[in-house]
This record gives sequence, structure tokens and C-alpha cells, in this order.
Amino acid sequence: MRNHSLVILILLILISSFGLLSIYSSTHQKDGEPWGLIFKRQLLWFAFGLILFFTMSNINYRRLWDWTYILYGLTIILLLLVFVLGVVRLGAQRWLKFAWINFQPSELAKLITVIFLARYFSSKSADYLSWHTHKLGLYRALLLPFIFISIPMGLIIEQPDLGSGIILLFIFIIMFYLAGAKLRYILFFLLITALAMPVLWHLLKDYQKDRIMVFLNPNSDPLGAGYTIIQSKIAIGSGGFLGKGWLSGTQSQLRFLPESHTDFIFATFAEERGFLGSIVLLALYYFLINQGIAIGQRTSDNFGRLLALGISAMLGIQILVNIAMNMGIAPVVGLPLPLMSYGGSSILITCISLGILVNIEKTRTVF
Amino acid sequence: MRIKVINWIIFFLFLFLSLAVLNLQLINGRRYWQLSNKNCIRLLPQEGCRGNILDRQGKVIVGNKLSYDLAIIPQDKVQIEKALLAASRVLGRDVDELGRNFKNGFIAPFAPVVIARDIEVRQAIALEELRPDIANITIQMRPVRDYPYGKFGCHIFGYLNEIDRRRLTKLSDYGYQTKDIVGFGGLEEKYDYYLRPEKGGLSLEVDHRGKFVRILGFKPPHDGKDIQLTVDLDIQKIVENNLVDRQGSVIIMDPSSGEIIAMASAPNFNPKLFVKKTSPATLRNLFNDPRAPLVNRAISGVYPPGSVFKLVMAYGALDTKKMSTNKTFFCPGSMYVGRREFKCWDIHQRQNLFGAIIHSCDVFFYHTGLIIGAQAIHDYALRFGFGKVTAIDLPYESSGFVPSPLWKKIRRLSNWFDGDTANLSIGQGDLMVTPIQTVRMVAVFANKGSLVKPYLVKSIDGRDISVYQRVPSGTKFKEATIEYIADAMRSTVSEPTGTANILAIFGVQVAGKTGTVQVPHGQTHAWFIGFFPFKNPKFAICVFLEHGGSGQAACMLTRRIIEEMLKQGLIR
Repeated sequence: MRNHSLVILILLILISSFGLLSIYSSTHQKDGEPWGLIFKRQLLWFAFGLILFFTMSNINYRRLWDWTYILYGLTIILLLLVFVLGVVRLGAQRWLKFAWINFQPSELAKLITVIFLARYFSSKSADYLSWHTHKLGLYRALLLPFIFISIPMGLIIEQPDLGSGIILLFIFIIMFYLAGAKLRYILFFLLITALAMPVLWHLLKDYQKDRIMVFLNPNSDPLGAGYTIIQSKIAIGSGGFLGKGWLSGTQSQLRFLPESHTDFIFATFAEERGFLGSIVLLALYYFLINQGIAIGQRTSDNFGRLLALGISAMLGIQILVNIAMNMGIAPVVGLPLPLMSYGGSSILITCISLGILVNIEKTRTVF
Repeated sequence: MRIKVINWIIFFLFLFLSLAVLNLQLINGRRYWQLSNKNCIRLLPQEGCRGNILDRQGKVIVGNKLSYDLAIIPQDKVQIEKALLAASRVLGRDVDELGRNFKNGFIAPFAPVVIARDIEVRQAIALEELRPDIANITIQMRPVRDYPYGKFGCHIFGYLNEIDRRRLTKLSDYGYQTKDIVGFGGLEEKYDYYLRPEKGGLSLEVDHRGKFVRILGFKPPHDGKDIQLTVDLDIQKIVENNLVDRQGSVIIMDPSSGEIIAMASAPNFNPKLFVKKTSPATLRNLFNDPRAPLVNRAISGVYPPGSVFKLVMAYGALDTKKMSTNKTFFCPGSMYVGRREFKCWDIHQRQNLFGAIIHSCDVFFYHTGLIIGAQAIHDYALRFGFGKVTAIDLPYESSGFVPSPLWKKIRRLSNWFDGDTANLSIGQGDLMVTPIQTVRMVAVFANKGSLVKPYLVKSIDGRDISVYQRVPSGTKFKEATIEYIADAMRSTVSEPTGTANILAIFGVQVAGKTGTVQVPHGQTHAWFIGFFPFKNPKFAICVFLEHGGSGQAACMLTRRIIEEMLKQGLIR
């Protein structure tokens, strides 16, 4: 394994360890079976994730090109299955239950979207042998891929999981941009999206509207929807420079902070590790994304290149949005922090994605 | 190219997040840290007892007793509702009101919330009996101020109430907080710092539901310090009983040390009203009563001294050597000063200073005043402690006022006339004194020439502080002169024609001087100041009755007090 791949592996292990420690800290004092299991399960997921990471790094990523439509179809089926068989938790139907495993197809959908778009924008037509997105017309460059993406996106938002849905949209915009689409199409698309906002507002669920309103003014409902943001900010802020120490964060330990082991793991971490820890964590994440982008830049294969960049973008958006939402500078949407948050689906998909990245780096010289 | 753009965007977004973290954790860290403590730390205060106030024999005059509070342990809603209903039934109070108290007093789900204070023992027992059915009712006991002698001494002690804004601003540096119970007026205010209990309490960690997690710290409450007074409860009782339905004040002081043995002011008030959380209307009536029952007339009331001031005049006349004891004046019942006629209350014919004191002859003292001059009178009044506070250990003492020619020129923009001197000579006009000042003045004649500082508190927490209380007096008065006037005071009582002859009682030799003050409206004020036993004075007394009639009325009251003291064997 070459240098860059090793860096990615080290970053993966470092960040995951931080995550595991925080999950342990936020759950160890909570009584009852499920709480005790959470840390062990996460450990198990992490082990699985590592296996998948190594597996994927050894499977040629070009195979994904062949499997793209199969994977896409599978994802759509899984997303549809969620509506039929899905487990309802926290008021949303997001999980599929296989034996004892709760799987979240929306996590898979993020990666599949990246693979799909990477393939779509890098396919060569019979007429042009070169990469040609910039020469495509409005229909083929924008509308067709967007229709493909809006199917899983719509299904995810309908679950309802606004966060993951929006992530798909972001991924689309970034990959569209990176694929070299005409700037005016991008502007056109952004304009349409902006214009559609008021219409979409009415399609949102009430709790989603509340969250956005609360984001604009957290004190409008301090005990309801604003509670989480306020408590999260208190948790992060009270960490100070060095933090309260491991297992000593009052906000997370005494359960003032809801979802302290999943979406708000960053607050838990920042409370106990302080400014120093938070900055180190941010730096690690930045390096990880930077590595992904660097791999993309070095790859000459269009598919590999777009895939690497897409994966980096996917991770980057999730990290940025999650941390921003922890600090109250983005609305609260159900988004995990990759590698930190508790959740099998998230950690497995992230490990797979990083495995693909490593494989792209490894396979680069082949072409 | 486009990759670079994305790279930069990501870099800036991460930078932005870092700055946001910096803002939250470093710039606003302190605030959020406090907020997080507020989230999880609860304080359960525990009260100590306020210090007792003891009389000179060590009897508790103001103490503490247990009061019963009804508290509810917050559990589930149904239980609370049930408890509130039961409580309202037993106490006969509105459920909504109790519910409001519950809501306001809530600290944490495990901490009992007091919903009714000071319930009666009978009610407490009745509620306690409900416990098998309603488990979350508890009766808590709490020390409250107790006044076993009711209104007695209320002006000495003052009362207790929740701290007001003015005192809070003044005292917040000394650890006083809102809702603290502090003394208002009297010793409770003056010695509040010693009397107040030191608050203790538990600091607890709670979780998001307010459930108890662990104890972070405990500070035991400390009781306030006891203070012992110079007041003799038996004599105080006699004095208070004799002042019932009167308006005025009586002070009895040890003339040699300045220890206040009894001090009463009428009308008085019941300090219990403030402990009991009486209806606001009752308290408002108390505050707005035109007879001002809350004012301690003994130290805060200012009145013209009338004829009792003649003692100062007599000393001044002899001390300046402008008059001898042989000098006589003829009193035809009035005299002209300038063009105005100044009356005497009787026709005294010719007499010297001794006789003038015995008969309280106004004309004689008009002459005396004109001879020694207004400035000298002013100076002697100041030497006897008038015009400034006596520095007794009570708050809100008035200083009274002694006029002088200079003052009149500056403040009234007019000249001082001989008529003013004549008025001043018999203690009328602008001259204003407090009863405590007059008792101190008369003590000079009892202790043969020193001006003492009156005080009330003998020891704090068992430690004798009389050394600090007895401030050495300034210049001594001339003993011979003092004795001469004291003899005249004795004759005032013993001579059949003396103004205080009714005090010639069997058993104790009293010396004194009466005073009758002309007032613009209503009856005259009545004064009597004196001391007894004459040979070895143990008590200096001042009796003042507001609109009480002539000095005779004050003498009558004095007689009753002394007789009662004799009867109880309090004069040895």
C-alpha cells in the first residue's frame, strides 16, 4: 500500500477512535441494555468497516462502472422497501431490518449517487471519444441525470429524511460542476432551485419547518425544537480550551444533549476535549478530504477521477453540515458525522467509500 | 481548475468552522460554561437560626420557634394534584393559589416544594395523617422569629422582613442576597450582621430530567450569634405596661455606665405581624398610621425640652460665674423682654437659683438667659449632648437641634433677638431634643459630672463588649456645681411646693425636674427627667408624654413605674 493510501487508513482509524471514545463516554453512564450495547456494536461495525475498507481497496473500482445500473436499481428497490417494511424510529421510516441489523438505505443511496453520476458524466458517446460533458446539451447534461437523481432523492425526502435528500442534491451540483458542465447550466439549475424554494417549503413536514425556523432563531422555542441547538451550543462552548475531560462532560453525561452519540457526537466530543480537540478533529477531517481530492486530481481516468472527487465531496458535505449544525450555524437535519456518529450504515458506507478511494489511487498507474 | 475552486471552498469552510469553534469555546466559553453548570447544578438551601436576643439576666426576649411548612415532593402529576387538593381542604385555602406556590417554588423533582408556610400545628398533624394515602406530602420544620413577650421591646428590636432594594444595594457586598430576611429598625437591623444565620446548603448534580445524580458539596448552616442586652426584662415590662394607650416614651438608664435598662415607645406594634406574612392591608395600616407606631420615639422623636432644659441653664449660669447662687430675681408672673410679654406659669416672688429650679420659675430663667447670652446657652446645650446623636447602638437616631444666633442669621436671614434667648432659656422655640438625649443629660447630675454614651448590647455571642460600648466622656462637669443642681432636683421632689412633689414616695428618694411644653396644637407635652435613689443613683429616668398634659402627668407615670419597681424589689 502506498503512502497516500496509508495516510487515509491512519486518518480513518484515528477519527474512528475519537468517535468510539466519544460514543463510549456518552453512553457508559446510561443504564439499560440498549445503551450498554451501543459501544460494542459500534466496535463491531468498525471492525466490519475495516474489512470492507480492505476488500474494496482490492476490488478494481472499474467494476463499479459495470455494476452501476444494477447498484442503482438495487438502491431504488431498497428505498421503496423502506416504505413497505421499514422500521419507524424517531418518527421517521428510514431503516430496513435484516435479521438483527437495522440498515439505512439512504446512506447507500449517497454512495450510489456518486457512482452513478461519475459514470454518467464520464461515459463516452460513439460520436466523441473524449470526455464531453461540456459539449452536452441542456437535456443530456442536466435534465436526464437530474431525473435519475431525483428518484432516490424524492424517496429519501419522503421517508422523511431531509438531510440525506439535500446531500444528494449537493452531490449532484458539485459533480455536475466538476464534470465540466457549462457554467450557464449550473447557474440555470441554481436559479431553478432557488425559485422552487417557496414551493418546496410547503412540501416540508411541520417538524422540518420548525427546525428551519428554530435555526433562524433558536430561542423561539427553547424547550421544543430549539432545545437541541441550545444544548449543543452549551455543550461545545462549555468545553473551553482543554475540555471537561473524558467521561466528564456534564451536557452529554447527564443527558441534557439529545442524540449525543449520533448526530450530536461532535458536541459531545468538543465538550470533553475542548477547543484543542475540536481543532485537531477538524484538521484530521480536512486532511482526509484533501487526500480524496488529491487522488482525484492525480487520476487520469475520468470515471476514477469523478468518483474520487464525488466521494470526497460526499464526505466533505456531510462533515461540514453536521459540524455546522452542531454549532447552530446550519439547521438541524438528521445527518451523521462520518466515522464519528453511531450507526452501522454510515460507518460501513464511509469505509467502503474510503476503500474505493484507496483503490483508485492504487489502480492509477495501471492506466 | 474547477477542482482548485472546490479545494478552496472546502478550505474556507473548514476555516470558518474552526473560527466558529473558537468563538463558541474560547470567546464565549465562560458564558456557556456557566450555562452548563446552571443546567446540572441545583442548590438546596438550608437555613440556620437567627441569633437570640437576651435580657441582662439571660432570659430570651426574642428567640426562635419552629414553624411548620407544608411541602410536596414532586412526583407524577396525579399525585401532585391529589396532594394539592388535600392540602387545600385541610388548610382551607384556594387550590390555584397552592398550585401557583408549587410552580414558583419548584427546584428539582426530588426536592420538596413548600406550598404553604406557617401552618398551624393542628393542620400539620391533620396533613401528616394523610400520608398513608398521599405519600408525597411532607411537613417541614423551620425556625422563625418568636416574640414570647409580644409587643414588649418592639422598638428596641425592630422587626424582620424580606430585604428591600435600598438595603440590598448597601449590603450586597456583605453577602446579602434577594429574599434574605433582615432586620428593619432596632437592634435587628443594627446587629443584623451578627444575628443573621449563615446560610448553608447542598449543591447537587442533576440530569436532564432533574433527577438527582450526586452530591457535589455540602455546607452546614450556622446559627446567628446571640446578643445580650443591658435591658432588664422586669423593668421593661413595668415600663411598657404603664405606657399602654399613651403616646410617648420612657427610658431608664444606668447613669454611671450608660446601660439602657428599659426603653419603650408608645404606641407600639407587634413584630410578629411581619413574620406571619400578614395581609398587606394590615401592614399598610401600620405604616400609614398617623400615630406612627413604628417610630421609636425614645431616639427618633424630637421635641422641645421645655423646663427640663433649665438644668442646663442652671449649670451654664453657675459655670460661667455670671451668676452666683445668692443671686435672686423677682417673679411677678411675667416679664417684658423688649416689647413682648413673657409669662411665667405662676407667681413666684423673689427667689434664687435653687428655688427657681424647685418651682421651675420661667421669669428667673428669662433673666438668667439674658445674662449669660444665647451663644453660651447653645454651647452648654452642646456640652450636655444636645444637637448631636448620642451614638446609642440603634439605627435612625435623631440628633435634635440647638439654635444659635449664627444659625438664625444664616438660615432664617434674621437677627437673634432677646426674645429668642428668653424662649431658648425655658427650652422652647427652635430647640429640639430626643428623650435619649435628656436622659443622658440628667445622668450627668446623677453620676456627678460625666456624659455617658447610652448603649443596649452588653455582649455578643457570650463575649462582653461593654468595654467598647463605654466611651470615655469628654470634659468632666464641675462636681460642686453639679451637686448643687442635683440637690435642687432632690428638693423639687421633696419640697411640698416642688413641681415634682408627688414623687415624694416612701421607700426611695427621687430627684428630678418636670417640663411642660407649649405646642401650637393640642395639649402640652409632658416631661419628667430624674434619677433615683438620690444618694447612690442606680437609675436615670426620662418620661415623655406626647400631648400628655402638664409635667404632673409625667410625674404620675414616673410614680407608678417607681412604685411598681419598689413593689417587685427591683430597687436595691
